[in-house]
Amino acid sequence: MIHTRCSLRFAPALWLISLLWPPSAPAVQDDLVALEEQAIKAAVAKIAPSVLRIETIGGLERVERVLVGTGATTGLAVSPDGYIISSAFNFIQQPSSILVTLPSGRRATAQIVARDRSRMLVLLKVASDELLTVPQVVPREEMAVGQWTIAVGRTFDQPLPNVSVGILSATSRIWGKAIQTDAKVSPNNYGGPLIDIRGRVLGVLAPLSPQQQDEVAGAEWYDSGIGFAIPLVDVLRHLDKLKRGEELYPGLLGITLQGNDIYADPPEIAAVQPKSPARKAGLQAGDRIVEVAGIKIARQTQLRHALGPRYAGEQLNMVVLRGARRVEIVVELAGRLEPYETPFLGLLPDRSPAAKPGVVVRYVYPGSPAAKAGLRAEDRLVRLSDKPVADVASAWEILGNYEPKQRIKAAVQRAAETREFELELASLPTAIPQHLPAARRPVQASAAQRPPVGAVNVKLPEETNECFAYVPDNYHPEVAYGLLMWLHEPGDVDRAQLIETWKGVCQANDLILLVPQSADPQRWLPTESDYLRKTLDEVIAKYHIDRTRIVACGRQTGGAMALLTAFSHRSLIRAAAATDTVLPGRIQVPANDPIERLALMLTVAEKQPVGGQRIEEQVKRLQDMKYPIILRKRPGEPRPLDDQERAELVRWIDTLDRF
Amino acid sequence: MTSTLTRNAFRSLRPRPPAAAWLACAAALLLPAASRVCRAADGAFIDIAASVQPKMVKIYGAGGLQGLEAYQSGFLISPTGHVLTVWSYVLDTDNVVVTLDDGRKYQASLVGADPRREIAVLKIDADSLPHFRLSDGVEPAVGDRVLAFSNLFGVAAGDEDASVLHGVVSAQTQLAARRGAFETPYDGPVYVVDAMTNNPGSAGGALTDRRGNLVGILGKELRNALNNTWLNYAIPAGELVTPVDDILAGKTLPRKIDDSIKKPAEPWTLARVGVRLVPDVLSRTPPFIDAVTPDSPAARARLQPDDLILFVNNSVVTSCASVVETLSLIDHIDPVRLTVQRGQQLADVVLETKQ
Repeated sequence: MIHTRCSLRFAPALWLISLLWPPSAPAVQDDLVALEEQAIKAAVAKIAPSVLRIETIGGLERVERVLVGTGATTGLAVSPDGYIISSAFNFIQQPSSILVTLPSGRRATAQIVARDRSRMLVLLKVASDELLTVPQVVPREEMAVGQWTIAVGRTFDQPLPNVSVGILSATSRIWGKAIQTDAKVSPNNYGGPLIDIRGRVLGVLAPLSPQQQDEVAGAEWYDSGIGFAIPLVDVLRHLDKLKRGEELYPGLLGITLQGNDIYADPPEIAAVQPKSPARKAGLQAGDRIVEVAGIKIARQTQLRHALGPRYAGEQLNMVVLRGARRVEIVVELAGRLEPYETPFLGLLPDRSPAAKPGVVVRYVYPGSPAAKAGLRAEDRLVRLSDKPVADVASAWEILGNYEPKQRIKAAVQRAAETREFELELASLPTAIPQHLPAARRPVQASAAQRPPVGAVNVKLPEETNECFAYVPDNYHPEVAYGLLMWLHEPGDVDRAQLIETWKGVCQANDLILLVPQSADPQRWLPTESDYLRKTLDEVIAKYHIDRTRIVACGRQTGGAMALLTAFSHRSLIRAAAATDTVLPGRIQVPANDPIERLALMLTVAEKQPVGGQRIEEQVKRLQDMKYPIILRKRPGEPRPLDDQERAELVRWIDTLDRF
Repeated sequence: MTSTLTRNAFRSLRPRPPAAAWLACAAALLLPAASRVCRAADGAFIDIAASVQPKMVKIYGAGGLQGLEAYQSGFLISPTGHVLTVWSYVLDTDNVVVTLDDGRKYQASLVGADPRREIAVLKIDADSLPHFRLSDGVEPAVGDRVLAFSNLFGVAAGDEDASVLHGVVSAQTQLAARRGAFETPYDGPVYVVDAMTNNPGSAGGALTDRRGNLVGILGKELRNALNNTWLNYAIPAGELVTPVDDILAGKTLPRKIDDSIKKPAEPWTLARVGVRLVPDVLSRTPPFIDAVTPDSPAARARLQPDDLILFVNNSVVTSCASVVETLSLIDHIDPVRLTVQRGQQLADVVLETKQ
C-alpha cells in the first residue's frame, strides 16, 4: 500500500525531471545493470569462503547410464568444525580418497559421514582443525518465485567460484523436497549453493528427477534451465543426525489409496499394510486423511506433498475421518517397509453375470485355507472380515489389509442358510490347476447391438503404431472378458496366423486378444509403454472387460516390453508373462502392492544365450519382494511357446481372479 | 546520478499540492512516464545489439554430411573486409561464402590461420565496413553480463541478424589446466559463460560485454572430459591480437595441427621412483603403493606400502595410469614432488634422482 502511494507521487516527479534533463536510455539501463552486477558480485564474494573445491581419487568409471567425471566438484560448509554438505552425485564412483581445498588453500582429506537418501546429499567431515565459514541461510517463507538466484560452484581452476545467474522458478518441487531455478545447474556446481542476491544460501544444488530416485537421476537435465536445489534450512534441521553418522531415508507410511487419479481423488485409504507404521499407528482401511502436520489435505497430491519431504523416524500428526468421526493419529515414519505378500483364501470366483451381490465359488483349491475350512463350489461368499463382499474387487480390497498366516472371518450363503468360518490365510499358489470347472453358465444369445467382433483394427489417430484386436465371434456384452495384450517381437506380424493360433483359446476362455506393434520395425522403445496403455484403454472403452484379468505377454524383447508396461501401469495391468526375457536393467520394480495386484510368469529356456544367470537372480529378487511369480524352465534353446505351453499360459490367466 | 537528481527535484517541489491534484496529475502522466522508463530499461541492450549486428557475418563452406554443419559464425575486424572466425573443416574448401549482416554475399579468401588457437582470418572484397578492433577488447569479471552473437543452428540467413544470447561470465579459467581434459590444442585463458553458446554454428561468434565491447570469440564445440559436460566458452580478444597480426603479416599459413607433445627423452618412471603400484586392473585403480624398492628415491623419502598417491607436482592423479602418464612428462633430472595420503594424513615428499 505504502509502495503504491509513493510510486504515484514519484511518477509525475520523474516525468517532470525527464522533461528537464531527458536521461539517455542507456544511462538508466546502465545504472540498473551496473547495480545488479555489483550486487551479484558482492553476493558471490560473500559466499565464496563457504564454497569448497572437492577432488576425488579412484573409483568407478561408469555408474548406470552416466560416465563419471574425474574433475573437481563442489561442497558447502555447514558447520565451522569441518562439516561440508555436497551432492551424492559427486561421489557415485565411490572414490578411494576425497580431498577438500580449504579457504587457506591447504588441502585436507575428508570422509563421508552420512548420506541423505531422500534428497541425495552427503555430509563430509574434513580432517583439519581449520575453522570453516558457515553461510547465512534463507528461511523458506522468504523464498519467492522470480527473485534472483545465483548458482555457485568451485570446479574450474580459478581463484573465484564459477557462477550462473537466474531466478527462482518454483519453491516446491519433487514433492516438496526441492526448489527450482533457471540458473544453469550442472556437474560444474552440483553440491554448491544456490544463493540469493544478498549472498545467503537458498539451497544445495543437486540433480533430481520427479520420476526416479537414484543418485544420477536428473543429471541429464544439466544446463537446461531446469535446475534443482535442496533448501538449506531443511538440511540444517537434520544436520545433527547426519553428524552422528545416521543415514536419512525417505519416510514411508505403508498405505494404499483408493482411486487412480492423484490430482482429483481424496486420500481415502484402501489398504493398510500389515507391520507398517500406518498399521502400528492405528490407521484403517476406509479412513480419509484430512490433515497432516496441521496442513489441510483434500487430494492425494497434497498428501504426497506433505509426506514427500519427511524422513524416516519423524513423527507426524495426522487427522483422519473415520465415518463422521475425526480421529487424531501420531505416526512414526519408517525408512523401509516389509515387502507385502498377498494372502490367499483358496477360491476361484464364478464369472456368470451376477444377479445378487457376493461372489459365487467356482472352484476351491485343494489344500487351501478355504478347503480346510470346508467351503465348497457354489457357496456364495457374502462377507469377509465383517465387511460385505459385493464382487471380486471388494474381496481383493478387504484382503489387501491382510497377509498370509493372519486369521480372517468369512461368511457364505449355502442354499438358504448363512455359514460363518474363520480361516488362516495362506500364500498365493504357484501351481496352476490342471482341470477347472466352467468359469460361467452359458448365456442366451443377446439381441442387443454388439460392438465389432473378429479381427478389429485398433488405430489410435495420434500414433503411428499398427494395432489390432481379435474379439471372439461369440462375444456377449454381459460376459466380462479377459484382455490379453500380446506384444509381438518388432517387425511384421502375420495377423491371420496369429489369430488362427489364438482364436480357439480366446473363444473358450472369454479372452480378447490385443496385438499392438512397435512403431520402429527394429525395436520396442520403453516410451511406447504409454502407447500400449492407450490401446488397453481403447479396448476397455468399447468392450466389457474383466479388470482382474488384464495381462501383458510377450517373448524376448516383447516380453521385456510386457514387464516394463506392467510395472509402469500397475493401476490397470494385473499380470505379465514373459518368455525368454531378461528384465531390462533400467526397469525400476515398484514394491508389491496390496491393491494393485500384479502376478508374474516367466518361461525360460535352459540354454539362454546371454543373461541366463541374470534371470535366476531377477526371479529371486522378485520373490524377495513377495511378487507372486511362476518360473517355468524348459529344456533346449529359446523358442516360441508350443500349444501345450500356450494352454498353460491361458489356464494361468483363467485363474488370475483367484483370492 | 539519476536517482540523486530525482530526489533533489522531489524535495524542491515542496510544499506538496493536495492529494487529489497529485492523483489527477499522476493519472495523466503515469503512462508516458512508465513507458519511457520501460523503453529506457529495454533500450540499452536493443541499442547495443543494433550496434554489434552490422559487424557480424555468417560463413558457409564445406560440411553438411554426417552431422557436420556447413556453416559457422564470424565477425569483421577491419573496415576492409577482414573476418575473424574459427579454424575448422567449414573453411576446408575453395568456396567459402561470407554473408554480411545486410545480406550482401562475398566469396572469401583465406588469409591465414593459427591452428593452435584454432582461429582463421578471411578476407572479402569490400570496404567501409563496421568492425570490432581486437585491441579494444575488454575483460569482464566473473558475474558480469555478457551477450553472445552468433548464427547458432544456422537459423539466420541472408540479411537476418545473428542470434543474441544473454548470460553472465561464469568463470575465467585456463582451458587445459590438465592435459587431456579438453580436446583442443588451445591451452590459454578462456571465459566460461552461462549462456548456451556451445551449439552447432555458434563457433566464431562474438562475445561482448553489456556495452557491446568485444570480449572474445566463441570457441568450437568442446566437451569437458573432467565432468562430461559441454563447455560454453570464448577465447579473450586480448589473446588474439598478436596471432591475428601475425596472420595479417603473413607469418603463419594453414597447416596441420602439430599434436606431438614434447616429452623428455628420459622421464621419471615408477622404476626410477622406486615403487610398485597395486595391480592396475580397473580403468581407475587408485594409485596405492604396493611395494617400495630399497635405496630408491621413494625409500629415501620414506614412502610406504599402502600410501595413496594424490598429486604429482601439484597435479591431481586419479588412477595408476595417470601417475605413469604424469611422470612421463617430467625429466628425471628434475625433482618431482609427490603428495600422498597415509590414513587420513597428507604427506609431501620430494624425490630426486641420485647423482
